[in-house]
Amino acid sequence: MSGKDRLESGQAERLRKAREMDWRKVLRREISVQNRLTRPRHNMPEQPVANRVRNFLEVNLGYTLELARAEARRCLDCGQPGCVAGCPVAIDIPTFIKYIEAGELDRALEKIRETNGLPAICGRVCPQEVQCERACNLVQAGKEPVAIGHLERFVADYLCTRESTGPLPTESRGAEPGKCKVAVVGSGPGGLTAAADLARLGYQVTVFEALHLPGGVLAYGIPEFRLPRAILQSEINFIRALGVEIKTNFIVGRTASLDDLKQAGYLAFFLGTGAGLPSFMNIPGENLLGVYSANEYLTRVNLMKGFRFPEFDTPVPRARRVAVIGGGNVAMDAVRTALRLGASQAVIYYRRSRAEMPARAEEIKHAEEEGIEFNFLTVPVRFLGNERGQLRGMVLQRLALGEVDASGRPRPVPIPGSEFEVEVDLAVVAIGQSPNPLLIKQLPLKLGPWGNIEVDYQTMATGLEGVYAGGDAVRGGATVILAMGDGRTAARSIDFYLSRKKD
Amino acid sequence: MNRVVLVERLVPNLYRLVVEAPEVAASARAGQFVMVIPDGKGERIPINLADWDKEKGTVDLVFLNLGVSTRKLASLKPGDRVEGIAGPLGRAPEIPAATEVLLVGGCYGVGGLYPLARELKQAGVRVIFLAEARSRAYLYWQERLKKFSDLFLTVFRSDCLGPAQELRELIKKIKSGHPDLSLVLVMGCSYLLFKVSEATADIQLKTLVSLNPIMVDGTGMCGACRVSVASKTYFACVDGPWFEGHGLDWKEYFNRRKAFLSQEEQALVRLDREFWKRTE
Repeated sequence: MSGKDRLESGQAERLRKAREMDWRKVLRREISVQNRLTRPRHNMPEQPVANRVRNFLEVNLGYTLELARAEARRCLDCGQPGCVAGCPVAIDIPTFIKYIEAGELDRALEKIRETNGLPAICGRVCPQEVQCERACNLVQAGKEPVAIGHLERFVADYLCTRESTGPLPTESRGAEPGKCKVAVVGSGPGGLTAAADLARLGYQVTVFEALHLPGGVLAYGIPEFRLPRAILQSEINFIRALGVEIKTNFIVGRTASLDDLKQAGYLAFFLGTGAGLPSFMNIPGENLLGVYSANEYLTRVNLMKGFRFPEFDTPVPRARRVAVIGGGNVAMDAVRTALRLGASQAVIYYRRSRAEMPARAEEIKHAEEEGIEFNFLTVPVRFLGNERGQLRGMVLQRLALGEVDASGRPRPVPIPGSEFEVEVDLAVVAIGQSPNPLLIKQLPLKLGPWGNIEVDYQTMATGLEGVYAGGDAVRGGATVILAMGDGRTAARSIDFYLSRKKD
Repeated sequence: MNRVVLVERLVPNLYRLVVEAPEVAASARAGQFVMVIPDGKGERIPINLADWDKEKGTVDLVFLNLGVSTRKLASLKPGDRVEGIAGPLGRAPEIPAATEVLLVGGCYGVGGLYPLARELKQAGVRVIFLAEARSRAYLYWQERLKKFSDLFLTVFRSDCLGPAQELRELIKKIKSGHPDLSLVLVMGCSYLLFKVSEATADIQLKTLVSLNPIMVDGTGMCGACRVSVASKTYFACVDGPWFEGHGLDWKEYFNRRKAFLSQEEQALVRLDREFWKRTE
């Protein structure tokens, strides 16, 4: 989850230099460290619970300029910033926060965009509490960390109407990029980041997206109440403005094979095909009417806008008693969606305990505020149907936490004889997903145990020449920011590969 | 966005849509389908490829005008645009070295099987085509199909699908007259798929049916289209749409197709009202 433990020496040097700039020194002198330490963290303004459970508008309303500057003043601008090392793409966090403190929002955004192509999205969906904010030195001083995620989101939103391209990241190594076509497969966070970086280096980039709208998991998976589609749209527009072409309704592996694309002149590939294969539990009754994968449930609601049925044509199942199985972000999204679609009871069943839940802290907090019921250490063993084949309930089993397993978490062990029954009209299975095999299986790629593409993490190179991969296709169910980091690394490697090829 | 070239009513309720989709046409194989998104507020629905033209860059889709999406498609005019066509999807049926194949098509499946008849015939396989329809007036594409079949038969619903016994007899008769017949491919309404599978199970004749469950993305991402064959779950969009009819859990298949019946009706009523407003 967290980023690198230590920074590269070059980066540490750059951070130190930036910190020694005069304007930073002035800011540090204006308010003492002691004074900064006394300031409490500024809470994110939110929609009141009673309203938000009935709409799909964003729960977090965002900082005002005053709130953002006040929060930025809490940052000590310390000499050894842990936050940067905690960030998977190593954003120069102190510098952008100090720009906010100084009121120079344009520069703050430029600074973020140097390393992060999708700040409005990361500010919303990154698990900051286990990344940058966990490493904030305020935590060591016994205080709450600076709200880095909220500040990142603020800067991106505040300036989202202006299309600042920011400084070009690096010069190409001389592949005559204008003449090179690069194909990016999948328009999720990894693909979009790779595409943006390659376009900035001057390559002709085409992104191929299988669905009819770009964004990947950002479009089909994450609900509007966490990531409004206008925000996603503006980030995608920004990437298009860099010269990237996005071809929707194009399924690489079906509409054209990777070889076809090679023939069409694409010299290098980034596979960001995501983790689009839903896992089921393989228990009796799973194909009853009323049992859905989280992918289907959320795609109907988010991508197809089923929550606005019948204005939009795609129906969504609505039910009174909804059970969601799982404890990750997808489970939180599904259960809170069910609530907004009118469920009177929306319940999480998770096989471990609260401490092991992989969801972002803020999502769990919001879910609890909204009245979601949590059942820990329980797992369904059977779905029960009525005579018409519709779900009417499920049989659950209680578990106890046993020894730590390969994932580093205690393994849940079933308690014999602990089965019990609950009545349920709708069940959503959100226990994870694995890489979508459609394209991957057609290529002679080296695959890992979950059907994930094996890569060299230094370069994101697969075993195939000119083919790079990243995001969930490589990592299974990971995070948006890790996918973006992969996209960035792969873009650099592709540039290196094409430059060498030319020689 | 894909430009509509032609919309043609073949027989009552069955339509042919010719639409530009050059990349799909270039990769299409007999027995595959596409996902169609009629407009910006539309669903994604699977429709079998009934033909394609690589040179013109168009695909032909034959569909039954039944719900909101197909009604929207049926009301298109040449020059209109559909929001999206994605494909080709699914896998072409795996056809073992056969010398004689029976194709049974009903409803949209008569058109949907046309590319397979053509491909098989051109590969030197003897093709028997059995077209099922409500009555003679509901038959279409006979001339086209006859060109690629050695024997062209028809069966009307009043004769066969009421008392299924007759369909069973008919298939038995075909098999006894054609001992080399080793494979049956069926496309059309669920009931036809089921009845043919039942009939061929008796005489142990390998039967592949083209399933048409509810789908959302069509690329294996959502699992809406799961079907059970021999107690194992498959995704029809990526593992199918062709499955052995004999091991299929038909009860589950029929049931899962009805998941959104009431909403589908609601949406249709709403669309009808909209169409009325436009004509007023």
